[in-house]
Amino acid sequence: MNYFFNKNGPLISTYLIISIGFWLVFLIIVPQLYMFDLSFRPNIPTLLRGGPDDVYTLVHYKHFLFGSETSGERYNYVDVGVFLDTILIAILITLINLCFCYPIAFYIAKVATAKTARLLIVSLIIPFWINELLRSFALRILFAGEGFINNVLIKIGLINSGINFIAMDVALYTGLNYAYILLMIFPLYNAIETLDKNQLEAAEDLGSSMIRTHFRIVIPHAKAGIASGCTMVFMLTAGALATPVVLSSPNTFWFTQLIYQWFNMNDNWPRGAAYSVVLLTVSVVFVLLMMRIFKVKIGEIVR
Amino acid sequence: MSADVELQNVSVAFGNFYAAKDVSVKIEKGEFFSFLGPSGCGKTTLLRAISGFSEPSDGIILIGNQDMAGIGPNKRPTSLIFQNLALFPLMSVADNIAFSLEVRGSGRVQRRKRADELLELVALSGQGDKNVHELSGGQRQRVAIARALAIEPAVLLLDEPLSALDLKLRQKMRTELREIQKRVGITFIYITHDQGEALTMSDRIAVMNEGELEQVGSGHNVYEAPHTPFVATFVGENNAFYGTVSSTEGNMVKVSSHRNNFLAKAGHLSEGKKHTFKKNDEVIMFVRPESIFLKDQNNQADNIFTAEFKTIEFEGNLKNIYLSIDGKQNVRCSISNAVETSDLSTSGSVELKFSSRDAVVLPIGPLAVD
Amino acid sequence: MKSQQALNILLGIYICIFFTYLFGPLVIMSITAFNSAEFPSVTPWECFSFRWFNEGKIAYDGQHLAGLATDWRLHEGLITSLKIGLGVVLLSVPIGLSAALVLTQVHSRFRTAFYSISIMPVLFPGVIIGISTVVLWDRIATMGGGGLATQLGRNGVFLTILAQTCFISTYCFLIFVARLQRFDQTQEEAALDLGASQTQVFFKILIPYMMPAIASSCVIAFLASFENYNTTVFSILSDQTLTTVIASKVRLGISPAISSLALVIILITLTVTIAYEVLRRREDAKKREIEADALYTQTLDSRLKKVDKNTFSIPKPIFGILFVIIICIFGFNKLVEKEIYGSACIAATEKEKKSNFAEQLKLLQKNADKASQTSSENGDTDQKKEFGDIFGDPDLFKNFGGFDTKKKDAP
Repeated sequence: MNYFFNKNGPLISTYLIISIGFWLVFLIIVPQLYMFDLSFRPNIPTLLRGGPDDVYTLVHYKHFLFGSETSGERYNYVDVGVFLDTILIAILITLINLCFCYPIAFYIAKVATAKTARLLIVSLIIPFWINELLRSFALRILFAGEGFINNVLIKIGLINSGINFIAMDVALYTGLNYAYILLMIFPLYNAIETLDKNQLEAAEDLGSSMIRTHFRIVIPHAKAGIASGCTMVFMLTAGALATPVVLSSPNTFWFTQLIYQWFNMNDNWPRGAAYSVVLLTVSVVFVLLMMRIFKVKIGEIVR
Repeated sequence: MSADVELQNVSVAFGNFYAAKDVSVKIEKGEFFSFLGPSGCGKTTLLRAISGFSEPSDGIILIGNQDMAGIGPNKRPTSLIFQNLALFPLMSVADNIAFSLEVRGSGRVQRRKRADELLELVALSGQGDKNVHELSGGQRQRVAIARALAIEPAVLLLDEPLSALDLKLRQKMRTELREIQKRVGITFIYITHDQGEALTMSDRIAVMNEGELEQVGSGHNVYEAPHTPFVATFVGENNAFYGTVSSTEGNMVKVSSHRNNFLAKAGHLSEGKKHTFKKNDEVIMFVRPESIFLKDQNNQADNIFTAEFKTIEFEGNLKNIYLSIDGKQNVRCSISNAVETSDLSTSGSVELKFSSRDAVVLPIGPLAVD
Repeated sequence: MKSQQALNILLGIYICIFFTYLFGPLVIMSITAFNSAEFPSVTPWECFSFRWFNEGKIAYDGQHLAGLATDWRLHEGLITSLKIGLGVVLLSVPIGLSAALVLTQVHSRFRTAFYSISIMPVLFPGVIIGISTVVLWDRIATMGGGGLATQLGRNGVFLTILAQTCFISTYCFLIFVARLQRFDQTQEEAALDLGASQTQVFFKILIPYMMPAIASSCVIAFLASFENYNTTVFSILSDQTLTTVIASKVRLGISPAISSLALVIILITLTVTIAYEVLRRREDAKKREIEADALYTQTLDSRLKKVDKNTFSIPKPIFGILFVIIICIFGFNKLVEKEIYGSACIAATEKEKKSNFAEQLKLLQKNADKASQTSSENGDTDQKKEFGDIFGDPDLFKNFGGFDTKKKDAP
């Protein structure tokens, strides 16, 4: 501590300590802990907080699993179903994104000339900086009942009447895929870029086939990038709210939309908090799983 | 302005590891003093302790008879030239040089004046507005020196500043550094692992190994009269003959080594004090390669031996001949290129000679490993 | 070798498809902004017009479909977004910088822990950051008893700034860490050795070195704040930012005004990116020239001597710009020829539509009846709303534009 003050001088030390303390404690740790605490509280009016009714309870987690007591169902099929759907589809989308992006990332990193690569990267960045809502909106225009795709399909005579892409959730899944695809490319690109081109040439020289080279050399080298890309895409997909708001059909829910409902429509904050804790748990488990599977450190995942 | 620097039993420890151990030395005012040693011997640690970046865990550092304990690097009368120079890449040359004046609140005009003065001192007049990365390696070196001299420090510390330069430039800069030191007249403390640099520039040299001082003395002293086997082999080349003492005679020692009996002088234990040996002591006798000659009729020497010729190496001005005694004791001798050696390769064994004045006997100890 | 070539061609085709996928929807959305039809579409094409950028349109039932320039909710949202963005930049850049600095000094035993906590916010779903901030501050506001804390705790802009700062600081942190990794720490020592105080070292050495990173993290922090929805939608409470306005518009029905907004944003992004790229290239070229000069003066190697080229070459981008201009002129010509541009065309189509309006009204009434019928049967009116003919949706018009009285979502 003394060393710290000596190294930074009094003024800078104060600045560092205050700003970091504010951030870590006030913005990161305390809100999360409080939300965790709230998820175990009953849903009572603010005035009764701290009163005799304000006791720890598991009622919200029970509701998530088993539904309300009045319903005859054994489990809360709706909420658990939405939850499992969200997770499974997020995983699926992550995998699809990975397959989509790998060739692109490899091309930019190793095949293209420096100038082309630069151009491609810049053109990748541009859509990335356009609001997620607006990108989803663009897809909505395409997929709407009288939208571009249906009109084109009708015109060329493939179908007679419009396909309801939105109700079929095609729009939603495409939108989720579309929204975070770039977060897969950049980590992959960064990882593959560091691979020495000589290694590829050596592998070719030694008679390795193209595919084998990728599986034995490029992919092992890029595993941190793969882990990073997969984590980011999964996290953002599972936690997406903007895209489902724009593209989901009225009878399909994304898990975040459930949380939103408990918070804003039903005014049941503790239950919303409990559902948030469930989502957060999944996220943490996923990160840990990625770290395990790919044997990478957390610092390599987030860069 | 110049000041002397005194280290009293200084140790610097990182946990259990002693980077420098019990170092005591007094560096005189206006002296060019070098710490010489292999990398990792603790010389940089000592320098950082002197400049104030690390506190010694034990002992006292005095600069100009003032205890430096608790005084930060920005308050000490020292300037340090870093190994990588650490010029500020975002400032112009002149701003770099005048940085120490800037942080002390001098005005722009005054700073510029001083910067120009110093640029002249290091022969870079008119380059003040350039950017640092527009300069060549040698020019950067001089900017670093000028920057360190700007506040007229009492002691200038140099941490292997020449190591990044190529050979020719390095030799040129040695001379220049020495000249600058004479001109400004302040104490220079120079850190290097290159014995050539230390020998050419320094008034005195301290040879260090594994955190401890091995020997302090002038270049001549260190080279001619090493106190330990480490110094004997680290500073310059040396042949180490392992053997036992067969008899002593005042300062002269008879050593028997590999069926030969050599006469040599006893080495120094410390300044002005010689080692004493008893019969059958295990010792090493050191003879420099340039002190061993091919035997011929013209001059006589008191040590003569034969060895088998192995190979010869051409090094420009010198030729190195590698030989061995009984295949166990390797001997290297360096002779001038002018000496005719064409018959050596045919004859199996060669007669060699050296003078007992050029041979030093020391007790067994660790050598410097290359 | 031949198979390699075939593979490269395949890869090229794949990349073309990929970029079409990436840009196609954006391009089509941009085009719909110029179609005068109420529903953003390319086909059928009514008239080429700028109405969605300007005044919008009065629909047949008297509701106003706001255009970009007349939508006060968008404008207010934009101003709130700008305020929040500014606040986030002011907080998160210093926080990120200090965290990155401390990371370099923290004892190696705690470094991993510190780093993990610092990057946690990026791994949290955005909604959770928003929620946790709101619940905490609601509690603080309750305990505050009507004082400043209560005011702050119920202030959506303030909460949004805090919530966004939570994770945007991490973005800044990561940018600074990357830059600091290449920082030569001996520079700090050199400055100290030359007599600078620690504060002087910070302002004269470290900050100038970090300046590019500070600039880019300012930009990134602002953009991230500006386009954030997931966190903001919770923490904004009763206020509205640009994104929440867009979201509520899009959720309730889609209007070409949003396309035009998107186009404006796309153009701004494009301009900034291109300008940045041009500047960067220029800088790179200059740097390379200086380095080459330095190398030449150092080595005097005749191979490096620069030969002045006097041939004048037209910069390539000019061809691109010319091409775009020609296409525009040509397309515009075609539009005028076919008489599908301007107010005349719009008036014509309006007239045609109005003649159908009575019919539409009948349909509307019928649909509304049917809807209320079905709702009384199974209590679910939302089923049919999303799809199909927009005229079939009775709720739609009033949610399009500026004058509706949508119930606020506030708790």
